Amino acid sequence: MIGYRKNFKMSTNTAIHLKNITKEYPGVIANKNVDFEVNKGEIHALVGENGAGKSTLMKILYGIEQPDEGEILINGETQVINKVETAINLGIGMVHQEFTLVPSFTAPENIGLGQEPRNSQGLIDWKGLNKLVVDIAEKYGFKVDPGLKMIDASVGVQQRTEILKTLYRNANILILDEPTAVLTPQETDELFTVIRTLVDEGKTVIFITHKLREVMEIADRVTVMRAGEVQGVSETKNTSIAELASQMVGREVFLQVKKDEANPEEEILNVEDLWVHDARGLLAVKGISLDIKKGEIVGIAGVEGNGQSELVEALTGLRKTSQGSINYLGENISSSTPKNIRRKKIAHIPEDRTNTGLNTQLSIWENLIGNSYFRKPLSTNGIFNLKKIAQHSNKLKDDFDIRAPNISLKVRSLSGGNQQKVVVARELSEDPILTIASQPTRGVDIGNIEAIHEQLVQMRDDGGAVLLVSAELDEVMAVADRVGVMYEGQIVKWVNPKEVDQAQMGLYMAGVKD
Amino acid sequence: MEKFSFKDVLVTFAGLLITSFIAWVLISATGNNPSEVALYLYEGGFKGTRNIANSLYQATPLILTAVATLISFRVGMFNIGINGSMYVGALYAGWAGYKFTTLGHFTHVTVCILIGMLVGAAWMLLPALLRVYAGVSEIISTIILNFVAVLFVSYMANGPFRADPIAPATPRILETAELKQIFPNSQFNTGFFIAVFVAILAHFVLNKTTFGYELRSGGDGLVGMYPSRFSSYLGIPSDRSAIIGMLISGALGGLAGAIEVLGAVRYFFQELEFNQGFDGILIGILGKLEPIGSIIASLFYGAIKNGGFYVDYKTDVSREIIIVLISILIFFVSAQKIVKGLEKYPFIKKMDNFFSRKKM
Repeated sequence: MIGYRKNFKMSTNTAIHLKNITKEYPGVIANKNVDFEVNKGEIHALVGENGAGKSTLMKILYGIEQPDEGEILINGETQVINKVETAINLGIGMVHQEFTLVPSFTAPENIGLGQEPRNSQGLIDWKGLNKLVVDIAEKYGFKVDPGLKMIDASVGVQQRTEILKTLYRNANILILDEPTAVLTPQETDELFTVIRTLVDEGKTVIFITHKLREVMEIADRVTVMRAGEVQGVSETKNTSIAELASQMVGREVFLQVKKDEANPEEEILNVEDLWVHDARGLLAVKGISLDIKKGEIVGIAGVEGNGQSELVEALTGLRKTSQGSINYLGENISSSTPKNIRRKKIAHIPEDRTNTGLNTQLSIWENLIGNSYFRKPLSTNGIFNLKKIAQHSNKLKDDFDIRAPNISLKVRSLSGGNQQKVVVARELSEDPILTIASQPTRGVDIGNIEAIHEQLVQMRDDGGAVLLVSAELDEVMAVADRVGVMYEGQIVKWVNPKEVDQAQMGLYMAGVKD
Repeated sequence: MEKFSFKDVLVTFAGLLITSFIAWVLISATGNNPSEVALYLYEGGFKGTRNIANSLYQATPLILTAVATLISFRVGMFNIGINGSMYVGALYAGWAGYKFTTLGHFTHVTVCILIGMLVGAAWMLLPALLRVYAGVSEIISTIILNFVAVLFVSYMANGPFRADPIAPATPRILETAELKQIFPNSQFNTGFFIAVFVAILAHFVLNKTTFGYELRSGGDGLVGMYPSRFSSYLGIPSDRSAIIGMLISGALGGLAGAIEVLGAVRYFFQELEFNQGFDGILIGILGKLEPIGSIIASLFYGAIKNGGFYVDYKTDVSREIIIVLISILIFFVSAQKIVKGLEKYPFIKKMDNFFSRKKM
């Protein structure tokens, strides 16, 4: 709070001051008297759990939403930002979590879209555009390949293109909404270099994130939000992860997962020499063998896109296998349907929450009964017992702490973390023997990450087998008892998470063998 | 699906108000007296047994086509070929109506209706299979089949099923195949009760059975989003849901056609023209893709339609103007954003919260 007071006097040094912002949606107060101040030339992190009001605040700043009350000052002057164009004209640029790029366009085509330079005949000056883009990129120390189409570009390149798009529009203040959520550790490092260069060149960066370690690494100051209110503003050098985390969730959190030693018993799943093709017909899983025993959590680490998705889809019957066998309790299920696999008590928390794990148009209870609607007492002879369904769903809602006023609410209107809790609640509710969890905490805030980890450990301690596939290295290392590192469709290394450090894991993930 | 809320009531009233104003201007511009037209519109829709009966008669096929629409939409399929199902259902119900000469009344009606539904369903089989197994957009195939249906029934009425040497029409159906008309001078018939029953049944099946849950698990508001990953992930075969949904949708279209022939027209002739299949799409959306909502919307639409006929009969205003007005009304009623600005008033919010309370 000290830094906050000090800077208040030097208002000319303030790039953005959101004063007393209140925004109410029907039934929810998203922002309550929020005061948010960013100095010129600083990297300011905005952290908070899902639904804390970070996105709403940034939408207000970017002109997508209008505040009910409050004032916006840009460079010390009061502004009314009622549309995105106004924000852009004021030099504010936003890089959304979901990229807004045309896949079949190259970087310059995407960057120039809508503001193309014209030549004397009034046609688009492609050469000029390419040069302009390359010049901007060089100024900030990025590399850009003007001929590469976005569909062929890596996520990191796409993100840099998004940043360039804002710079092309003369942004001085950049809002990055959870920029590292989709990046590998190496790409994250590259992004941080870029951010530092931007600040050196006089830009101001607002960095929205869940990941406190990154806050400590990159940000100068940090504003923590909880339940629509600002909990504190501090300089990163004067605070700690634990302090920020407790401000975020309002209590002390354990960043480590509490668990005892695993007691592996008999084998539940045995995969032998599995080969799987991806949607484009290319080999994605190349001869994987693994086994999971009762009472243990097996982790699969690795940079995304190395065949993890295809492996999980093959195990759950959603994708055909090309070769090899999947033995579950002694039976080969490699050509079973998802229905049969589910009936054998294999639960699946999919990586794609909104399209696969949920039908967001349906209510909470309709999503919760997806794996149990056909059994008694929820239905008898094909007819729902709505009372029993309500009991069942309300119990899951309480047990898994799904925060919603009632279970008739559409899942669409829940925050990402609560949506994920609906998936986890459903999948763990039918006493699975094997639980396959793929990116189970993606986009979920700290408090809920902890809860989901505890539930997975609980499944293990209750005699379940768990396969945890995650791109979050911290997560796999903390939760799993054994970890396989996947690289280009193969498991390149099996490790004991207690015996390796992150740097070593980073090398394995990059495909370096011992 | 979305439940009705106070905002919807507001939108509807706002729409009615704006439409009334436009109607006033339009009718005045054509040199007629708007208040006279309004009076006749009301009388034609709601006054007296005969007008009410006729309004209900107009609503009968609309209920069925609206439910047919919403079922296909809620399994994630965009079926706009219900009009085609209605034509072929009407033709074959009419055919069965004169072909089977030895059946009793109840059996004969049942057989005719079932044949109409079966043919209507069969009409949707091709687009459903093409969608599931060949990836052909059901929007395109069902639109095309609408044209095919018109030409097909016209050929059948002209050729194989033609009875009258002068006019291209099938023989009149036998008395045993008739759905009874209850009021004198009105084509209102017992088909109305069938339609309402089917809509209530649809409500029950969609919302209260595992079968209905499986059907809509992949869709429900995600119109045209088939195949949904959610249902296949749960192990519910979404292909089956899509095909069954389309078949039910077609069967209800066929039923609407069958009731028109068995209850009102009593034979099939070449010039018989249906457009309720298209109106049903509007009404289904107006009813928020809920069967009960569709009944209410159909009753309203039927009354206005019948009122329009009455205006046409009593004044110089042609009934096309009424159809224009209905379209404007639907246009404004669908314009949800008109009242979005009202949300900030505490009273509206309170009323909205009150009306959207749920049981569970």
